[in-house]
Amino acid sequence: MKKGLTYFAVGILAGVAVAGASEGALRAAGANTGVALFADVFNKVRDNYAEKPNDDKLIRGAIDGMLASLDPHSTYFDPKALEDFQKSMKGEEFGGLGLEVMMEDGLVKVVSPIDDTPAARAGLMSGDLVTGIDDTAVKGMTLKEAVDKMRGPAKSSVRLLIERGANKDSKEYTIVREIIHVQSVRSHVEGGDIGYIRITQFNQEAYDGVRKAFDHFRADPGSAKIKGYILDLRNNPGGLLNQAVEITNAFVDSGEIVSTRGRNADQQQRYSARPGVNLSQGKPLVVLINGGSASASEIVSGALQDLRRATLIGTRSFGKGSVQTILPLGENGALKLTTARYYTPSDRSIQATGIDPDITVLEKIPADLKGKVSSLGEASLFGHLKNGSEEEKGSDAYVPPNKDKDTQLQAAISLLHGAKPASLQKPATTVTSQ
Amino acid sequence: MGLGVVLGTAATVAAPQALSYISPAAYAAAADTYRQLNLFGDVFDKIRNDYVERPDDAKLIEAAINGMLASLDPHSSYMDARAFKDMQVQTKGEFGGLGIEVTQEDGLIKVVTPIDDTPAAKAGILSGDVITAIDDTQTQGLTLDQAVEKMRGAINSSVKLKVVRGPKKEVKDFTIMRDLIRVQSVRSHVEDGDVGYIRVTQFTEQTADGLKAAMQKLKSEVPGDKFKGYILDLRNNPGGLLDQSIDVVNSFVDRGEIVSTRGRTPDETQRFDAHPGGDLSGGKPLVVLINGGSASASEIVAGALQDHKRATLIGTRSFGKGSVQTIMPLGQEGALRLTTARYYTPSGRSIQAKGIDPDYKVLEDVPDDLKGKDDMKGEASLKGHLANGQEDTSASQAYVPPDEKGDKQLTAAMNLLEHGVKPVETTAAKADTAPKPDAVKAAAAKPDAPAPSAPSGAGKPN
Repeated sequence: MKKGLTYFAVGILAGVAVAGASEGALRAAGANTGVALFADVFNKVRDNYAEKPNDDKLIRGAIDGMLASLDPHSTYFDPKALEDFQKSMKGEEFGGLGLEVMMEDGLVKVVSPIDDTPAARAGLMSGDLVTGIDDTAVKGMTLKEAVDKMRGPAKSSVRLLIERGANKDSKEYTIVREIIHVQSVRSHVEGGDIGYIRITQFNQEAYDGVRKAFDHFRADPGSAKIKGYILDLRNNPGGLLNQAVEITNAFVDSGEIVSTRGRNADQQQRYSARPGVNLSQGKPLVVLINGGSASASEIVSGALQDLRRATLIGTRSFGKGSVQTILPLGENGALKLTTARYYTPSDRSIQATGIDPDITVLEKIPADLKGKVSSLGEASLFGHLKNGSEEEKGSDAYVPPNKDKDTQLQAAISLLHGAKPASLQKPATTVTSQ
Repeated sequence: MGLGVVLGTAATVAAPQALSYISPAAYAAAADTYRQLNLFGDVFDKIRNDYVERPDDAKLIEAAINGMLASLDPHSSYMDARAFKDMQVQTKGEFGGLGIEVTQEDGLIKVVTPIDDTPAAKAGILSGDVITAIDDTQTQGLTLDQAVEKMRGAINSSVKLKVVRGPKKEVKDFTIMRDLIRVQSVRSHVEDGDVGYIRVTQFTEQTADGLKAAMQKLKSEVPGDKFKGYILDLRNNPGGLLDQSIDVVNSFVDRGEIVSTRGRTPDETQRFDAHPGGDLSGGKPLVVLINGGSASASEIVAGALQDHKRATLIGTRSFGKGSVQTIMPLGQEGALRLTTARYYTPSGRSIQAKGIDPDYKVLEDVPDDLKGKDDMKGEASLKGHLANGQEDTSASQAYVPPDEKGDKQLTAAMNLLEHGVKPVETTAAKADTAPKPDAVKAAAAKPDAPAPSAPSGAGKPN
């Protein structure tokens, strides 16, 4: 209908003068006709629109429209968004409560309180519904609005109205905010002899987290007892390139890890392993990936696969083979712009194709989640960078909360305990949810 | 470089001027604008220099303009040179061509119907013919738009068509001279011997003249004493030119305000009044048919005739587009279609995001296979529409049965005009409120977007 609702006559506003001076000057100076055209439209909108337009919104709309025409990963950060982004890359140091929340049916639901945070100490529990924050009803807020309301300076307090359980018992909590440190790396020893490392995102603290995990394994159970490692990159959306390179280097001694190529040949950069910083002592390594493993996760798994350092188990990865650079715009925030593609050591681009695991193992997806936990992948994003003809769409991205039921994890453990790879693939014969 | 420099120049020219007569606050606002434009230029330059692939500057700018306009409302848009030309053809309602309505079926260009009295009809092109080549170019692989574009051209120029006809796939070659083709936006006939039925499919430059001709013809066919009245059918008419809608109203009323438009400031208000002597209807009773697909210029007509108590409106609530767009040419690069005003009916109401309620709500019976697809979500459900207080976001029926006998709205209009029987309002109120987007496309053969396709909506004339 939009298109069909036709405009009214030319010249209806014949008497309305257009802002002559600036427009004329812009035209005259129009070394670039495209930019002059934009300025022309901008001025016409400012002068003639039915309501007084908001200049900020107009420019914002223009910038968003321009970036959206490039690819799905190039975006504009206004100053507030930039600050949030930088915080998340720094390891999420913010004043808050320590709650992981999600949106469900318009309500904010606690996924889990993070250990050792005000929320955990106050007794908030997984599954709690947050219905009010400081006397404001949560209903109608976006997840981001609710999160912004919960965050605030350390030592300030916030009141939460919580509904719990089937009886919907209402309970009010007053909690004092603290600096929350979100850990991007978690690790534990699996079955007494396997070092399990999970990276949730590649922020500035990711490599340090991995290093500490190795320290921890060395102390307990001790290097001699460790049979191998599991690096879990499932549902890890990526992050910083240098962290991906450092973390790969923690498992290899030499060789190229990744190269990036921009528009011109002189923009190519190679990242190679430095000798002497491999922390893994050459012990067997399994990397877990799935449809939610993207970008930096794919650099790590692609390099470890090409260098034959790891066995990849899981489902095909997301397929984001591009690199974004944050270009500052002074007081106006920053631009996150796709500036390069990256290539694995064997020179393959995984853009829109993803990385196939060496052993495909599917998780059993609960009936109520079927069809909701598969990631469509880069190839199905509107306007993604092309990569030849062979593109791949859709891959499972579900990780069971209970590790005993985590088929991919169990396959990794079996492999490190000496099982034959062929025997691990059986679950693949179950019906896929793609 | 780029915009930074360009705008820098502009600002130094503009700023002193601005200073001389506007307040410091306004000057600050100007500085702020300069900052905003600089930001745009900065982003543009960074993309040009650093993006992973060499970007197409023209595409970037077009995307920027579209993004900016999309942030305003759903009716403001940028037309590139091609789209601008198409729009001009559409509003003009005439072009050089053959007079065939075509459609695309399984990748083939198929003739829906040759239009009476056009070169195509005279040459003997028939409904169902498949056009396989135009001027020796195979149509296989062409889009419908491309094929139409190839068939159109200057008047008196000729075009060669290769046509495959019938089950025997008989191949025929035609060489046809193009002529001026007028898209009929007005159709009329005498209904039941005593009512003048007039359907307006869109408001093009031809509409007011077409209406006058239709009214003359109807009057000549029905003796004055038998003439019971007119039905003006505006169902699924998406709108068009403002001046044409004013003229159409004037053909039924002789005096009074028809519509007023108001821009941002009071001095931009314009009133449009009826010219005495314009009324051709002889005061005969009038029923206007509207539905959820009646928008914009259609609503100006329906709203004015309702406020003047000149007509009885029958059907379902109209679309609710109460804004006016102005076309502003942009040199060689197309044009800007910008919302510049709201319009108000004579009683001072804005129908924006509300629509016009008919005097009698009558629903059509929708065939089972179209149920749920026949409703039109109106203006109020378009993202970013201009706000207007209490809005009506419910969907309104936009189905017109292809067969007159099953057309309950038309029947209600006839009963009112012929027998003075007031329509029974449909009470199954919920029946037309199921929210279904994109309904009109599926609803019978009514065009929601009269991209050059007025006549029957089944295809594209060329």
